[in-house]
Amino acid sequence: MGGVARWRRSAGTEPDDARLLALVAAGRSAALTQLYRRHAPALFGFLLRLAGDRMTAEEILQDTLLAVWRSAGSYAGKAAVRTWLFGIARRQAHNRLRGRPAPVAVEAADRRDAGPGPEELAIAAAGGTPVAVAIGQLPAHHREVVALAFVAGLPLAEVAQVLGVPVGTVKSRLHHARAALAQLLAEQGVTR
Amino acid sequence: MNDLLPEYAAGSLGPADRRRVEEHVAGCADCRADLASWRVLARAANQVDAADAAPPGPEVVRDALLRSALTGPPPAARIGVRFVLALLRAEARLVRASVLVASALVMAFGAALAAAVPSTSGGPGSVLMLVAPIVAALGIASVYGPQRDPVYELTAAAPTPPRLVLLARVVLVFAYDLVLALATSGLLMLAGSHSVGMVELVLAWLGPMALLSALSLFVAVWTGPEVAVGAALAVWALRVLADSVFAGTGGPFQLVRVVWSTGPVTMLVVCGLTVAAVIVAGRGEPARRLRATHPT
Repeated sequence: MGGVARWRRSAGTEPDDARLLALVAAGRSAALTQLYRRHAPALFGFLLRLAGDRMTAEEILQDTLLAVWRSAGSYAGKAAVRTWLFGIARRQAHNRLRGRPAPVAVEAADRRDAGPGPEELAIAAAGGTPVAVAIGQLPAHHREVVALAFVAGLPLAEVAQVLGVPVGTVKSRLHHARAALAQLLAEQGVTR
Repeated sequence: MNDLLPEYAAGSLGPADRRRVEEHVAGCADCRADLASWRVLARAANQVDAADAAPPGPEVVRDALLRSALTGPPPAARIGVRFVLALLRAEARLVRASVLVASALVMAFGAALAAAVPSTSGGPGSVLMLVAPIVAALGIASVYGPQRDPVYELTAAAPTPPRLVLLARVVLVFAYDLVLALATSGLLMLAGSHSVGMVELVLAWLGPMALLSALSLFVAVWTGPEVAVGAALAVWALRVLADSVFAGTGGPFQLVRVVWSTGPVTMLVVCGLTVAAVIVAGRGEPARRLRATHPT
């Protein structure tokens, strides 16, 4: 899932993210390229999932890099650089995608109990492709949390930081997203 | 345990937690089913219908930088101490030498006069108080506008805000006049055996100098340098008259005397005028300047 495992290997001779960002703030474009290379798979996967098509995702990616280039000096070191990057990417995606018609809202039952309910079984039964299509139809706040957790591969604590909400909210949004997915699949007659 | 399953499916768990999940799931059918659904979700989330899901190469960085260069100001982070120093240094080369030389000459003339004046008629302070403000005000009047600025068009087109440029120049010219007046005061103290102290001497000209400069700046930005010079001279003449011809009269002249001393009221007026000037400076063309663009 997500090609982010390489992100962790940066400890050796390469400068760490914060150092790279400081160089970016000083106007070094090579540092921005290096920072981009390091986070490109996760970042682009996230944007692709949010945007739904490659062209829009590339536009948002460029917006994001531009914003990073201009505001690198304002990075305060409170969160990890990766968290900060995804926060910017998310904001840029919001700016670009704001004009789009919102996907059909799906009312999801609020349940978070332990055992596998019909939803979980339905998703597992439906298989990959229909689920992928259905994810594209989720409301934005569900798609966002799915993209951050599963495509970008961020730990839930970090997802919470990017979104500026408590971890508990991230978890409940994930469960809601799954429930909404199951309902979408059921409505489309994929299962049953 | 239930909470760890999404992260396990996403592959974002640390090795210790991963092992815990694996051990638990091996013996718990419910969690196995739960995990299966998260796995399908995770796999589906990474499956995008775009034919090519690989991230663009580093050329996207180049494109973003190109856009940055074409569309907007440089990174805000660069407006720091170093930027301000560089701006001051660059603007210092644009302050006209004639202004600096003329200011120094007039101040020297004032110093000579102050040294010669008998201490019975007010001492050196009275002369310096007359000269220093008018020198500074006339210098400040020359810092702004197309008539006096050799690179006006360039400044207007450059990304550095015109207001910042104006402030930098005002700081430079005023600092120069301040140094001149301080040096003159120091020399007078060294040369003469006057009854007044250094602080008293400086206070005599500091407030009026700041106020007249601020007034001159505002009028220069508002209408133009010629009017500013005229206004500064007229206002200063009024002030001098209030102290000499109308020395005994109260009423409006008393107010004039209060405003033109070195005190909190004066400093407030100075700040107000400077802020007003900076605001007006960003608002396009002065009222009395021939328009560069045709009015519509």
